[in-house]
Amino acid sequence: MSRFFYAKLAATNLKKNAQTYLPYILTCIGTVMMYYIMVFLSKNEGLGNMAGGSDMQTILSLGSYVIAIFATIFLFYTHSFLIKRRKKEFGLFNILGMEKKHISKVLMFETLYVAVISLGAGLLGGILFSKLIFMVLLKILHFEVPLGFSVSGPALAAVPLLFTGIFLLTLLNTLRQIHLAKPVELLKGGQTGEKEPKTKWPLVMIGTLSLGGGYYISLTTQSPLAALAQFFIAVILVMVGTYCLFTAGSIAVLKLLRRNKGYYYQTRHFTAVAGMMYRMKQNAVGLANICIMATAVLVMVSTTVSLYIGMEDVLRTRYPQNIMITTPVPAHQSAEGLQTAVHEVLAQHRLEGKDMLDYRYAAFAGNQEGDTVITDESKMSNASSSVRQFYVIPLEDYNRLTNRTASLGDNEIMIYSSRNVYKEDTLTVLNRTFTVKERLDSFFENSLDRVLIMGNYYIVVKDIAVVKAMEKAQAEENGYDPSGYQYYLGFDLDANEADISAVYQDIRTAVGSDYPDSRIESPVAAKASFFAIYGGLFFLGIFLGALFIMATVLIIYYKQVSEGYDDKARFEIMQKVGMSREEVKDSIRSQVLTVFFLPLVTAGIHIAFAFPIITKLLAVLNLTNVGLFAWCTAGTILVFALFYAIVYRLTAKVYYRIVSWGTSA
Amino acid sequence: MTILEVNNLKKVYTTRFGGSHVQALSNVSFSVEQGEYVAIMGESGSGKTTLLNILASLDKPTSGEVLLKGERLSTIKEKEISAFRRENLGFVFQDFNLLDTFSLQDNIFLPLVLSGKSYEEMSRRLQPIARKLGIGDILAKYPYEVSGGQKQRCAVARALITSPQLILADEPTGSLDSQAAEGLLRLFKEINQDGQTLLMVTHSVKAASHAKRVLFIKDGEVFHQLYKAGMSDEAMYQKISDTLTTMATGGARHE
Ligand SMILES: Nc1ncnc2c1ncn2[C@@H]1O[C@H](COP(=O)(O)OP(=O)(O)O)[C@@H](O)[C@H]1O
Ligand SMILES: [Mg+2]
Repeated sequence: MSRFFYAKLAATNLKKNAQTYLPYILTCIGTVMMYYIMVFLSKNEGLGNMAGGSDMQTILSLGSYVIAIFATIFLFYTHSFLIKRRKKEFGLFNILGMEKKHISKVLMFETLYVAVISLGAGLLGGILFSKLIFMVLLKILHFEVPLGFSVSGPALAAVPLLFTGIFLLTLLNTLRQIHLAKPVELLKGGQTGEKEPKTKWPLVMIGTLSLGGGYYISLTTQSPLAALAQFFIAVILVMVGTYCLFTAGSIAVLKLLRRNKGYYYQTRHFTAVAGMMYRMKQNAVGLANICIMATAVLVMVSTTVSLYIGMEDVLRTRYPQNIMITTPVPAHQSAEGLQTAVHEVLAQHRLEGKDMLDYRYAAFAGNQEGDTVITDESKMSNASSSVRQFYVIPLEDYNRLTNRTASLGDNEIMIYSSRNVYKEDTLTVLNRTFTVKERLDSFFENSLDRVLIMGNYYIVVKDIAVVKAMEKAQAEENGYDPSGYQYYLGFDLDANEADISAVYQDIRTAVGSDYPDSRIESPVAAKASFFAIYGGLFFLGIFLGALFIMATVLIIYYKQVSEGYDDKARFEIMQKVGMSREEVKDSIRSQVLTVFFLPLVTAGIHIAFAFPIITKLLAVLNLTNVGLFAWCTAGTILVFALFYAIVYRLTAKVYYRIVSWGTSA
Repeated sequence: MTILEVNNLKKVYTTRFGGSHVQALSNVSFSVEQGEYVAIMGESGSGKTTLLNILASLDKPTSGEVLLKGERLSTIKEKEISAFRRENLGFVFQDFNLLDTFSLQDNIFLPLVLSGKSYEEMSRRLQPIARKLGIGDILAKYPYEVSGGQKQRCAVARALITSPQLILADEPTGSLDSQAAEGLLRLFKEINQDGQTLLMVTHSVKAASHAKRVLFIKDGEVFHQLYKAGMSDEAMYQKISDTLTTMATGGARHE
């Protein structure tokens, strides 16, 4: 037989199996495109040179790894599904006298075709679309869009490398299966009567515990600091739980239902329970995949969208004032020079600082144990939930900013916290014991505690001498160079962004020489890098969301098609045995609907339980607007559900075309 | 008493695009009395399955009528037809038509569950049938775990459990080896001796030779019929073979 023969047969095979191969090839093309675009963006020099661009490219290259891993697993999975459906065909070839060697040759040609088509169309599409996506990204980042069109060398190299690898892998896996199987087994193909699944109680237990554990973590985690680490543990637990419960849990529940004779032997439940058992046996892993993918999409898109939309909020939380200067003032120096320099700059610009705020303070962290605070860093535990941030402020500044005339003795303090309650009557810290004279229920607006992670205490002491003494004691205890105290000066400006930016730059120069350790911040200066990071995340969220949705669609399509073939036979038998056409249709429709929407509903439940911990994570990223996040989550779920429903309707059509048969009454 | 009456049945299949027409049945008439065991013989493609599907109300004739216990099938409303089928007819098919998703017991229960019977009643009905068919100890298994002969026994049990007026069997021995086929035919005979009316469609001479009466169809019409009366199975076998030879050589038609 000539080589030409195999090449031709391979082409015919692909055409004949178009119903299953076309979606597969389209997905390959889509994945190639997405991977090309992601590598293109993460390696694009123009983007790297923009402000904040390199931060964002770190995020994007992370995205390209995610796509690479995902593409490998996903294409491998769908391809093995295709082969399962085609085993019968191979068996037939085998019986008709083709050796396995010959079948392998045909398969090699098929893979070659798929690879060439996918890479060719995918790269072409990628190159064409990369410009569009690039512009969208720049728009998201509020960057200028440069002219011109470019093809990325690194991406052109990376894409064929990855996908040739993936296609080789799928080919090897197929050849392995063909070589292991006997012709008779091949002929039986996908429809070997699978054994009744056993109830795996240990798995059910593990699944229940994992899922419960994951939910529990999310509901109980209080500290945003701990949330990050806990979140990943919770994610793993929920994933394990989902897999176990979809596979073992569903079977266990159905078997329990079946054991209940009064329930099981009712017309409505009888076919439903048995049908669901059959479907879960076949599809549990696929459904768990869909569920986890849907959850991932929902979390990713809702968080990145709310971060992006809430960016102004975030900036305002992180930078409460237009210009913010924080300076350590050495013991022998005062902050006056700084104030003068700032006022000179403002005068030059003919601007006046609004809501001018300045105060002196000392800040340190410690573990609170009752009325005692451990500040020795070698003895402190960072993970502990008793970590508190302390801000010590002299009475003079407090009175000035609150218009009060309170007075304090040497060892007396007033204490305030925005996140905890101090219940003790005394406070022992840095070898000094203070008496709490007053618990304050409000404090002046300040920008000390902007990270919003730990518990905090604001402590008002008699005078600056106490502040200095505490700063000194703290530095000595931990072996730092002591500085006198910290000084904060901040104000807003009634000016446009460009002017604020100019003031910001001038203050940097003016203050820099005398106070070299000052930290000077402005939301205007930070905006670009915020846009780069949050915009990058937003872009990635949407991009990967689209990829996952594509995957979900394909898996669902294949499920429907393969079940259609299986159901066709059962559909006929049930009618012959005395079920009416409508009854059969209803029963199958309700089962298909259950299978279809089970992952989505479960994903919804996961999201609901994840909500508390995600709001804490967002707090770490300075997004405290829970309402906004709630709306974004709801919106994302709605859009996803809508999309899902459309996919359902489209694939259900294919499904009903397969199951309905000729002899209509 | 006449259980089944078939008058001038005609069935023409039209392909989906209305192109070609296939006349499967042109003019079939016969009747079946209570307690009879009738075999319908014909070559492959002679319209046997078509006839059976019409009797089972799974398909509708182009013209002609079918009466079951005097009731016209065509007058039964679409909604009631499956209940009617369930309560009056039992089916045995060549490829068993058992559902892989159910255990054998649940397969047998299926029609009763559809009629809303309680589990207790179903088990009570199943017991004597299972004993008779010798399937008592495989009931918990699944169709893919047992042999063809066992599957077909379960299919028979499913047909019997509703105590139908009439059992319709389409090539019931077609997928069985000769030993299993022999067993099934013996079973049919016993069931018939217990009073069950049977109508079997087959192209196997062996199978037909067990029946009390054999109808031959050719070119969509009943061509000839034979009564077994007191004859032995072997004599009947011979007689059927002769008839088939005559039919094949285009011999004269006699009734
Ligand atoms: N659904 C159908 N559509 C069109 N033609 C059919 C259909 N079913 C059967 N036929 C044709 O009707 C004739 C009789 O078929 P059938 O009743 O299955 O015969 P038998 O069961 O005796 O082998 C055959 O020519 C067959 O091709
Ligand atoms: Mg037939």
